[in-house]
Amino acid sequence: MDLITLLIIDAWFAWIPAVGFAMVFNVPKKMLIYCAVGGAFAHSFRFLLMHFGVPIEWATLAASSSMGFLGLYWSRKHFIPRPVFTVASVIPMIPGSFAFTTVIGIVQLNSGGYSLELIQIVVENGLRTLFILAALSFGLALPSIIIYRGRPIV
Amino acid sequence: MSLSRQAQTELIRVAAKAGQLLHQHGAESRLVEQTTQRIGMALGARSIELSVSPDAIVITSLFDGECITTTRRCYDRGLNMQMVCDVQRICIMAEKKLLDAKQVKDRLNRLKPMKYNRWAVVFMIGLACGSFSHFFGGDWQVYITTFFASAGAMTIRQEIAHRHHSPLVNFAIAAFVATTIASLGVVYEFGEKPEIALAASVLLLVPGFPLINAVSDMLKGHISMGIARWVFASLLTLSVSVGIVASMTLTGVVAWIG
Repeated sequence: MDLITLLIIDAWFAWIPAVGFAMVFNVPKKMLIYCAVGGAFAHSFRFLLMHFGVPIEWATLAASSSMGFLGLYWSRKHFIPRPVFTVASVIPMIPGSFAFTTVIGIVQLNSGGYSLELIQIVVENGLRTLFILAALSFGLALPSIIIYRGRPIV
Repeated sequence: MSLSRQAQTELIRVAAKAGQLLHQHGAESRLVEQTTQRIGMALGARSIELSVSPDAIVITSLFDGECITTTRRCYDRGLNMQMVCDVQRICIMAEKKLLDAKQVKDRLNRLKPMKYNRWAVVFMIGLACGSFSHFFGGDWQVYITTFFASAGAMTIRQEIAHRHHSPLVNFAIAAFVATTIASLGVVYEFGEKPEIALAASVLLLVPGFPLINAVSDMLKGHISMGIARWVFASLLTLSVSVGIVASMTLTGVVAWIG
């Protein structure tokens, strides 16, 4: 399949978790469409960057910071705090699987005893979780860190 | 403009109520601080000082050399972005002088947390975890397994949350249910790589919002709030993992770590 098709499929599967989790966070009905657009955009953008060989952490940073600026535009337009759109939009990129693998590894370390293999799984997955998560939140916070610097956005 | 002592007390109560609502419904600390200060200033205080801590807010207001301090305990009432939006809207209206102190108070008291229809949420969460299984490379059979596993877990999670049990207990039980349903797919060899369903079906239990809030609080200078949120999110992750491991031990299906 060519790249465009892959991107469209990726975007299609990314808006569903964004809206699903937005409903768990009780985002107002009118704003769900923005969460869907944001989720599809951010995840497919990260997919595109990773397709060209960008490491996952940097791709996540780029995707989440562009989502941060998009959220800035929407929040100025609708007078709604930014996390309402931005957090649900980046939910598809949260490293949930890495996080659970890390902690399951720790639980297994306790029950099964020390092994080099388990330590490797725990450390590698743990660090990946940490860095992806830091990139996500830092990207979202970027507009208020470098432009607004303490002033309210809306 | 000068205010009577009674009006000052009333004002600080209104501002504290706004801050408490924001804190309880999962706004980040910067938003709690700024919005509370803005409401207080809009209603006529000279300055508002606010200390946000993980389970309470302390708020002091200054008018013509007189201080009033009050504390509000903030019990977690679950994430609700609609409440955050509404408080923010009231804040903006107060700043534009469209509302006075009494109207702000009435509107804050009238706010009711909106909840989506629970079955709609269950359905969407099922589809969402199904999408995650697609991202992990699963086929349509795995999608179906994941859908039912995560929808079942979401139903249990809502049912337990409704009875006000601890989220830690809730997440462990939900993870147990999701993994047990998903491991049926492995037992009956449904689809190409049925192990994927085990990984995807528990993703509804990732504490994504607390984790993002934790990092952004720390980035914006609220280190202690960030640490508290981080620790709570880690505990939730730990209890989910315990649920997964318990189910894997019981069913004998091992998919996460060989």
